[in-house]
Amino acid sequence: MIGAQVGAAVPWLPLHFVPASDLLGILPILIVGGGAVVVLLADLVVPRRGGPLLATLTGVVLLAALGTAVGQWAANAAHPVVFDGSYANDRFTLFADFVILATALAVVGLSPGYLRRRGLEEGEYYILLLASVAGMLVLDGALNLIVIFLGIELLSIPLYVLAGFARDDKKSQEGAMKYLLLGGFASAFLLYGMALLYGETGHTSLTAIHAVLLRGATAGQFDPMILAGIGLLVVGLAFKVSAAPFHWWTPDVYQGSPAVVTTFMSVATKVAAFAVFLRLFSATLAPYRSEWEIPVAVVAIISMIYGNLVAVAQTSVKRLLAYSGIAQAGYVMIGVAVGRPDGTQAALFYLAAYAFMNTGAFAVVTLLSRRGEDCDRYSQLAGLSRREPLLAGLMALFMLSLAGFPLTVGFFGKLFLFSAAIHDGQLSLAIWGILTSAVSLFYYLRVILLMYAPGEDVLETQEMEVAGVSPEGSAVAARSTASPAVLVVALAGFGTILLGVFPALIYTLLQGISVVHG
Amino acid sequence: MSWPILTVTLLVPLVGALLVLALPAQRGRAIRLVLVGVTALTLGLTCVLLVAYLAVPSAAASRLTGSANGQSLSGIHSPVTFQFQEQVSWVQSGPSLSHLHAAFNEGNSAFNQASPPPINFSYHLGVDGMSIWLLALAALLFLVAAVVLSKRQERLRSFAALMLLSEVGVIGVLTSLDLILFYFFWEAALIPLYFLMIGWGDERRGRAALKFIIYTVAGSLFMLLAIIGVYFVTGAQTGVYTFDVPTLIAAQAFVETTHATSFSLFGHSFALLNPQDWLFLAFALAFAIKVPLVPFHSWLPDAYSSGRTPFLVFFAGIVSKLGAFGFIRYNLTLFPQASHTFQPLLMGLATASILYGALAALAQSDIKRVVAYASISHLGFVVLGIFALNVNGLNGAIIQMVNHGIVIAALFICVGVVEARFGTRNLRELGGLAKPMPVLAGLFLVATLAGLGMPLLNSFVGEFLILLGSFQVSPVWAVLASLGVILACWYMLRLYQGLTQGDLRLPGPDGVPQVLQGVAGRLGRVDVGPVEVAALVPLVALMILVGVFPAPVIHLGRFSAAQYVQAANRPTATNPAQASARGLTAPGGAP
Repeated sequence: MIGAQVGAAVPWLPLHFVPASDLLGILPILIVGGGAVVVLLADLVVPRRGGPLLATLTGVVLLAALGTAVGQWAANAAHPVVFDGSYANDRFTLFADFVILATALAVVGLSPGYLRRRGLEEGEYYILLLASVAGMLVLDGALNLIVIFLGIELLSIPLYVLAGFARDDKKSQEGAMKYLLLGGFASAFLLYGMALLYGETGHTSLTAIHAVLLRGATAGQFDPMILAGIGLLVVGLAFKVSAAPFHWWTPDVYQGSPAVVTTFMSVATKVAAFAVFLRLFSATLAPYRSEWEIPVAVVAIISMIYGNLVAVAQTSVKRLLAYSGIAQAGYVMIGVAVGRPDGTQAALFYLAAYAFMNTGAFAVVTLLSRRGEDCDRYSQLAGLSRREPLLAGLMALFMLSLAGFPLTVGFFGKLFLFSAAIHDGQLSLAIWGILTSAVSLFYYLRVILLMYAPGEDVLETQEMEVAGVSPEGSAVAARSTASPAVLVVALAGFGTILLGVFPALIYTLLQGISVVHG
Repeated sequence: MSWPILTVTLLVPLVGALLVLALPAQRGRAIRLVLVGVTALTLGLTCVLLVAYLAVPSAAASRLTGSANGQSLSGIHSPVTFQFQEQVSWVQSGPSLSHLHAAFNEGNSAFNQASPPPINFSYHLGVDGMSIWLLALAALLFLVAAVVLSKRQERLRSFAALMLLSEVGVIGVLTSLDLILFYFFWEAALIPLYFLMIGWGDERRGRAALKFIIYTVAGSLFMLLAIIGVYFVTGAQTGVYTFDVPTLIAAQAFVETTHATSFSLFGHSFALLNPQDWLFLAFALAFAIKVPLVPFHSWLPDAYSSGRTPFLVFFAGIVSKLGAFGFIRYNLTLFPQASHTFQPLLMGLATASILYGALAALAQSDIKRVVAYASISHLGFVVLGIFALNVNGLNGAIIQMVNHGIVIAALFICVGVVEARFGTRNLRELGGLAKPMPVLAGLFLVATLAGLGMPLLNSFVGEFLILLGSFQVSPVWAVLASLGVILACWYMLRLYQGLTQGDLRLPGPDGVPQVLQGVAGRLGRVDVGPVEVAALVPLVALMILVGVFPAPVIHLGRFSAAQYVQAANRPTATNPAQASARGLTAPGGAP
């Protein structure tokens, strides 16, 4: 309707080809994409050092998109599939939208103060961020291989630039280059997998592919080409969620990128990529479950083991969080491997939990940054509880949550995942999850130990001894300029505890969710 | 009780912690006042609870018939009954508990097996005749710890707040009647304990804290798996998917335990463990680490020797009892058959703990480590009593848990005073302290004698009952455990004599002990102050009181012990016909 009206008013716009219901279905994407254009134009007119203004504008755009998504959730559309079956605006998509948009909002809150401290105030930052968010929103509802690829590229290309945003920093350059090259490879794998699927089924629509696969699987025939395609899809998507053994880029990119970009990358990208992972595997490729179940479970187990073991040896918080992110990806993969509604719900719950705790942890790192560098070495965290009791307390909370302690949302995330795995009979996944969680305690609690009892480190690293620099005054500087950033950390902490005591707030939201595949 | 007394008991320390945090950090006196007030109020509440529990005339009757709180499954009651229950749904997806009960009683599975099972857990509190004693002990020891906490303690405010948060966790563990809620408190209590361990103590505290946490959580994580396992195994067989403890206890009567298949190797036939056995072992691992039993004990000496006295009072006094509590509350009731299967294993580990702890205590020169190893030995008695699986043994175990809490708290206060006064814990550098510290020596003597199980003092009662109970199982256990009693005399008197008798010996400037003659007067006032006396006297009084008049205590513990023994000795549904006669489908495992 709206399209028709606008089309009538502005006859040269080809809007009348697009039904209004379709446009409504992708309204959050339109808002974010349009917002990117607005910010781009605004960047031309606002004076130099207009960072806070652009940040505010970006925040408004994201809030508007979030509000729209909430409205759509409440309206509960009867036919959520739009654009001729290539995009689903169902509750699954909307839930992922919530998490992605909220994370992006948090990142925007952290950005102005951080960018000023590191001397990276460029308007392009916000434009790239919005573009990447648009890509994520495209990805989490995609019902067509082409749309999936579109989403992946739209989210990735701005991220390649953002990773190298600290132009004077060699590590940032290195990270961006690695991310670009390996990301290109991953895209190629993904595309090849899609090509094989298309070649064998003759469709790009997930619905149609599902129908073909179902026919084949019921007849007991598993097409080897499709199996190869699924394998390549796993490789491409595992790269995006940084699951081992496709994680090699993660530590360098996480460490090199500016901390705000790392925050965004580690949470929002993972959520979007897992959304498509879950949609593909729990719905479209479900007929082939007997074939992909083991490989996916193996990826989950390798990620949990590798991420947790290597994290033990780290001496930088950003690298620690990179490896812990690999491990956390492994936990979410349990939900993918389980595949049924309870697995999907558990994975979504975990992703929401992860958004709170990981955003919070990275936000603390962001707040600790100083002029020209991120203070993420363990030596720089030592004694933080004396210098910054509030930040240290919140960091401890996020570490406990990542380790899965009760009172924090991380506990229920693990509880739901493990119980989904056990219910599905995949006891080995739950046992590996438990074993590696026990290992993870070592490094999460070590961070707390460093902050609260300096000189008590259990692995005396050499770096501890050369720690001459004391970042006194770093966060004091942050405090004066970064009140929205402090708010973000506090909100993340509040959410971590609130959901840790009342998990039903999110868990009941997830009850109705099942994955639409056409 | 018309008002939710358990929730209030849980909230008082929590509110107290927030109150303490709201005070300015330098107001040491006010912080201490609030701390003592809050812990005293909690103790008062548990005393009210205790009196109400004993006074309710219908309690005895309802203990026999099962409480009418919707926990009965078709007339089959949980043999263990709980009082003062409060229940609020926490996370609910799928049919409610009452719905499940109704469906069970009608003999149909409550929901379609293909749909995902509901995840229901609730905020469900309640006490029984065992946990109420531990609750009272916990409240008492936290008050004692609050009293001995010096107002000059560095970072007093944080210490006080963390202590109160630990109390919330401990009370939560003791009162929760839902497995998820129980696990929630079980793990959450570790967080303040961890911060207390890393923040205050000697230079090795960081390592000790990490060791403690990793040991404990590694064990607990398997328990978490087992909790989920109990949920699905019970659910699959009875249709009742729940984490509710009374319901689960009742439902165990219908859970088959004959899934064990056997395989043969080299001509021998080995029976594989059935699911119940695995679940039992996972729970047992978590509790064995917490107690600790011998192969899992190595966190304890480090943790006990590095902590500060107020921390040790409640850490050694009550936190270690939570493991024994878990054995009784969960292992015996949820896995009755497995409890019998593994009785020799657990009794063996308990005996090993008794003997190993005693021998290791003899070899220590660090006074705190002597007490730490003594604690391992004493807790071995508790577990031995539990897995005697008879009324005497269990009754003794319940009494001994309380007794040990009192004795160990007093011992740690005594050695803590010595450490604080002379700056060393080395037994070789100290001696003859009875001269400058006569009051301490007197109180220490009572605690020592109680610790070694002297008749007319409290530990004798518990140890006697435990030995009686284990003798009923097999005289071998009783004989081996008695060796532990003999060794206890040796290591406790070695500690006491070494510290208080002989020539006065103090650490010299160059680390060589100085032997001083007749200079006691010149040391100044080193004896216990009024604060320590105020903390020690009630503990010592309790030791004597329980030792001289044990009858009421034995009587009160006996009822609960009988209930748990009944729960552990239930015949289980080894016969599928029994289940199917009730119209139940018993699928072979998780759907």
